[in-house]
Amino acid sequence: MVILGDLMKKQGIRSDGRKIDELRPVRIEAGVLKNADCSSFIEFGGNKIMVAVYGPKEVHPKHMALADRAVLRCRYHMAPYSVDERKNPAPSRREIEISKISKEALEPALILEDYPRTAIDVYIEVLQSDGGSRCAGITAAAVALADAGINMRDLVTACAAGKVDNTIVLDINDEEDKKGQADMPIAYMPNLEKVTLMQVDGTLSKEEYKKCLDMAISGCMQVNQLQKEALRKKYFGNEEEEEGDMN
Amino acid sequence: MSHQKKSNVIVEHLRRIQMQELLVKGERLDGRGLTETRPLKIETNIIQKANGSARVTLGNTQVIAGVKIDTGEPYGDRPNEGIMICGAEVLPLASAYSEPGPPDEDAIELARVVDRGIRESEMIDVNKLVLTKGKVVYKISVDVSILNIDGNLFDAASYAAASALLTAKLPKFKIEDGKVVDTNESTPTPTRTIPVSVTMAKIGDVIIADPTHEEESIMDGRVTMTTDAEGNVCAVQKGGAGTFTVEQINHIVETTITKGNEIRSILKKATENGSI
Amino acid sequence: MQEIRKKYVIPGDHIADGNFKNLLNAVEISNKIYATRVGIAEVGMDGAKVIPLSGIYIPRVGDLVICKVIDHSAMAWELDMNSCFSGHLPAQDVFGKEFSPSHDDLTKVFGIGDLVACKVANFDRSRNPLLTTADRDLGKIDSGEVVRVSPTRIPRLIGKRGSMINTIEQNTHCKIIIGQNGIVVVSGPSARDILISVKAIRMVDEGAHTTSLTQRVKDMLEGSTSGNIG
Repeated sequence: MVILGDLMKKQGIRSDGRKIDELRPVRIEAGVLKNADCSSFIEFGGNKIMVAVYGPKEVHPKHMALADRAVLRCRYHMAPYSVDERKNPAPSRREIEISKISKEALEPALILEDYPRTAIDVYIEVLQSDGGSRCAGITAAAVALADAGINMRDLVTACAAGKVDNTIVLDINDEEDKKGQADMPIAYMPNLEKVTLMQVDGTLSKEEYKKCLDMAISGCMQVNQLQKEALRKKYFGNEEEEEGDMN
Repeated sequence: MSHQKKSNVIVEHLRRIQMQELLVKGERLDGRGLTETRPLKIETNIIQKANGSARVTLGNTQVIAGVKIDTGEPYGDRPNEGIMICGAEVLPLASAYSEPGPPDEDAIELARVVDRGIRESEMIDVNKLVLTKGKVVYKISVDVSILNIDGNLFDAASYAAASALLTAKLPKFKIEDGKVVDTNESTPTPTRTIPVSVTMAKIGDVIIADPTHEEESIMDGRVTMTTDAEGNVCAVQKGGAGTFTVEQINHIVETTITKGNEIRSILKKATENGSI
Repeated sequence: MQEIRKKYVIPGDHIADGNFKNLLNAVEISNKIYATRVGIAEVGMDGAKVIPLSGIYIPRVGDLVICKVIDHSAMAWELDMNSCFSGHLPAQDVFGKEFSPSHDDLTKVFGIGDLVACKVANFDRSRNPLLTTADRDLGKIDSGEVVRVSPTRIPRLIGKRGSMINTIEQNTHCKIIIGQNGIVVVSGPSARDILISVKAIRMVDEGAHTTSLTQRVKDMLEGSTSGNIG
C-alpha cells in the first residue's frame, strides 16, 4: 500500500490533475524572431522559452575555431522576471552548468564536420520558468537548429520523469520538482535511439531507475511528434504531399 | 569590434544612396512618412510569474518587460519613498552582432534612458509605496529584455516598461512583528501619468521619427525625448556624434508632444484591455 | 526513366532503406537512410537526396556570388559573401601582375559598402574562398535594388534552363543579377517594373516548395503588367 502525500490526490492522479504518464500542455512554434538565422518558441507547462540559432558563422576570437569542424556554443539564460523571486541577470553557476549539458545534449545530433572553422551559437532564453526548463530548452533548440538548415542526424527531444510520493511519474512540474523524491531529465534522439542528456537528482532503486528512464523516453517520443509538427507547419503549411513538377 | 558586427553595420552603398535620395523627397524605404512611426503592438500579462509584464513589437523590434515587486530598505536620503529600478538587457539572440557578456555602453545607456523617462515623469507614486517609514518600502524592479533588434530600442523598451508597470499588481504586504507578510491580495500599482518617449534621428538635414536599424546605421545623431500626459518634457537624451540646430530641436519638441499623445492613447487602450 | 519519389522531410525522417551510392543531405545509419535537412526528399535508383529549404550559403568553385566589401588591407579586399566564410579578393586580381601596394589605391576601385559581383575561384575546407572579378559581367554593381532571398531558393529562382528568371525578365524588361549566395540585384526601366520583379522574386522565395510555381508567377506578371499590382 502506497502512502499518499499531498502531491498525489488519489491513486494515479497528481496535484495538477494529470495522470502519472501525462505530459503538461506543450506548444512549439518555429521561426518567431526576424534577425536570428532561425528561432523557436516553446511553451511547456508554465515554461515560456525563446531559442535562437546564429550560424554557422565565422569564429571570433579566431583561435577558438577548429580546423575540421564547427564549434557549438550554447547559452541557457533566465530573464530576471522568469522566476518567483527576481533573478540577477548575470549568469549563475546553475545556468552555466545547464548551458554546458545542453550543448552536449545537442552536439551528437549535429554533423559539425560539414562546417569547418565556423561557430554555431544557440541561445536559450527562459522568459518564464517552470519545472523542466532545460528539457524544454533543448527541445526548442533542436527545432531551431533544424530550421536553420544545419545538417542533423536526428532531432533531439527532451523530457523528464521522476518519483513523487513513491510513484514514478512523467514530466515533473515545479511543485513536484521541489517536493518530490527524484527528477530525471533525459534528452533523446528518437530515430537513433540514443540518450544524449541524463541527470538524476534524488534517490531511485534499480527497478525505479529503469522504469523512470523508460517513462522519460516515452515522453520524449510524444514531444518529438510536436517538434515535427512545428517544423512541418512552418515549411509545408497545409500543402499536400509533393508529386508534381518541381521546376 | 567583431567581424560580424562590422559587416552588419556597413550598409551597402546602393542602399545608402537610395535612402538618402528618398529622404530628401520626404519619403522612406519602408514607405513611411518622415514622422510616421511603425505599427505598435502591445500585449500585457504574458509572464504570469511577474507582477506585471508586456511584450511590445514596434515594426520588427521586439521587447519584453517584466515587473517584480518585493520589499527593501529605502535609500537613506529618501526614507519616505518606495524604490523603482529599471534595467534593460540586449539578449544575444536579438541580432547577429549582440554578444553574451556584461552589458556594453549602448546597453547601459538604453537602460538608463528608459529608467530616466519613468523616474523623471514621476509615473510611479513612490510616496504610496512605504510600509514602515525609513525602514521597509516596496521595491519595484522593471527588467526589459530585447528579443529582436530593428532600430529604436529606446522607445520600444520604454513602452514595454510603462505598459508592464500600468498592468502590474502591487501585492498587499503588511508588517507583523517586524516581519513582512504577504496577504495574497493585490491592488493596482499607483501611477500618476504615462510617460512616452519618441526617438527622432537625423540623417543629413532630414529628421525622421522611429528609425529602423538600417536608418540608425547611417544616421548622424538622434534625440530621445520623453513627455508626460500634460505635454511636459521630462527626460531627453541626445546620442550620436551629429549636431542639431535650435530650429531642429524645436521641431523635435513639437513632434514629440503630438506623437507622444497618439502613442499614449495606444498604451492606455492596451493596458486597459489586455492587448491591442 | 527512373521513377523518383518525392516527399517533404525534416531531419531524422526515414527516407529509404538499403545502400545508395549517392547521398546528399542524408545519412545512412545501419542500412537506413535519414534526412539531415528540412526539404524535399528524392529517392531514385542510385541516389537519395534532400533538396533543402533552409540553410546558409556554402561556397562552391565557379559560383557567381554578389558580395559586400567590408574591409581591405594593402593587398586584398575582404568581402561579406552572406556565408559562414568571408571572401578574399586579392588586389592582383584587379590591378594585374604589376600591382604595387605603394602605387595602387585599393579604395579607388572598391570601397567599403560596395557591392561586387564575383566568381568563386578557389575554395577548400582549410582556407577562406578566393574570389575573382576577372570575367565578363563581373565587378562593381552601380545601380539596382538589392533583394535577399534564401540561398536554397536560388535554383528555383533560376528555374530549368533559366525558365523562371527569363519569364520574370521578359515580362518586366528588368535585368536581374542572381548571386548563388542569395543576393539578387534588380535594375530596370522604371520603379514600377522593379517593384513587379521584386514581387515575383518574393513569390519564388516563399513558395519554392510548391508546384506549378512558374505558372503562378507568370499569371501574376501578366496581370500586373496589364493593370494593377495586386
